[in-house]
Amino acid sequence: MNEVNVPPDVDLGRVWTGVAARVWCRTPGRAERLATRLLRSPGLARALVVTPSLLLGWVIATCVVLIAGIAATRGTGTPWVALLDPALAAAGIAYAYGPGIDPAWELSQSMAVSDRMVLLARALAVFGLNAGLGLIASTVSGTAAAVTFGWLVPMTAVCALALAAATLARSANVGVAAGMAGWAITVLAGRVAAGTVNVVVTPQFLVLPYLAFAACCGALVLYATRIPGGAR
Amino acid sequence: MNVELSELVRRFGRTQAVAGVSLRAGPGVFGLLGPNGAGKTSLLRMMATVLAPSSGHMELLGRDPGEHAQRREIRRRLGYLPQNLGYYPGFTVTEFVEYFALLKDMPPGQVPRAVATAVERVGLGDRRRSKLKSLSGGMLRRVGIAQAIVNDPELLLLDEPTAGLDPEQRMGFRALLREMGERATVMVSTHLVEDVGAACTEVALMNQGSVVFYGTPGELTARGEGSGAAGDAPLERGYSAVLAEARS
Repeated sequence: MNEVNVPPDVDLGRVWTGVAARVWCRTPGRAERLATRLLRSPGLARALVVTPSLLLGWVIATCVVLIAGIAATRGTGTPWVALLDPALAAAGIAYAYGPGIDPAWELSQSMAVSDRMVLLARALAVFGLNAGLGLIASTVSGTAAAVTFGWLVPMTAVCALALAAATLARSANVGVAAGMAGWAITVLAGRVAAGTVNVVVTPQFLVLPYLAFAACCGALVLYATRIPGGAR
Repeated sequence: MNVELSELVRRFGRTQAVAGVSLRAGPGVFGLLGPNGAGKTSLLRMMATVLAPSSGHMELLGRDPGEHAQRREIRRRLGYLPQNLGYYPGFTVTEFVEYFALLKDMPPGQVPRAVATAVERVGLGDRRRSKLKSLSGGMLRRVGIAQAIVNDPELLLLDEPTAGLDPEQRMGFRALLREMGERATVMVSTHLVEDVGAACTEVALMNQGSVVFYGTPGELTARGEGSGAAGDAPLERGYSAVLAEARS
């Protein structure tokens, strides 16, 4: 083997690290670049694009359920999209982030990009995606506009409940169960009271109570994600 | 001083995990020794800003971790390896280290070189593309060390870093500690006395939440001489002697 004479002022280790940095460097995808521009934080953007409930498989599954909802709505006249989407969003948000979902939660808590910011960004992104998909599906299914927009408020409350339960119990599954149960009780109670599910998803008089409930759940999330034993 | 703790207390219900610890540490490798339940992990978690003290004062890198903006500054300059490092099974070694480099707010342009350097320093260059779920316990520990050092921290907190490492890896790791300790304050919690003897410039021995010894490894060794304390090595006998004295 030929020997290579290395000049004494050349640090081969440093050269190799430079080469490795170039070769190993990961190119951020389009979504991550967009998120970096919007959030002005590469760390937050990276945390956002690896959200479990924003991964391609999860989004495809959501779309499949909503397509089935469109078909059912057209076939039966019942606003299935409006009934399904809040439950889907609640499940997505429960699986977005938190002590029970992130295996490296303890480590994440010691990071400069705070775990609360990651939680907020992820929850808003999951909510926005599900709201957008739900609105499109609701429009395609030919549901009345009042119904289409009427379920966004209860969806907010259900998502907040799922997030609060997931962070307090440190378990995404508990969050999903709480969200689903809360939504099922709401829908069934409305049906018993009014005889139709349409009334349940467009209750004008319940807007404020729903928002107040969501705010209380938000406060619980803040409590559950505080630094134990001290104020943030 | 990079670390200044004054009468730091942490309670969990009726249990006092840390009972009025006062410490000052500048650059160097600082060993935290003690039996299980002595309060080492709680102390490190408070210094990692993931746990707030019940009372007492703490200043890290000249900043107050109780204040939001200063806590963020501390976290940018902090490296932390928890006792139980959770990991994302689908991430590769470099993805995991890069993820935490970005969460530490490192400038994106510096991240690739920092990740490559950290991964090489823990000897995982050849496994950089391996998914974490395919790695052994010792390799995962090294991935954890890589994420802790990726930002070249001024304060490095390592909780049981050598757990799962084989003897050769442990020797390499101690050399890394000594190198890091030339510029940074490295705090290592361990119950392996030989790690302290080989790498640490100072050592604190904790028992039931309190520091019962503070000095150099040589001074700890001296405490065991002629004491008749149990132990296979001089440092172990010093450790046993101090603990026996504290418990009596």
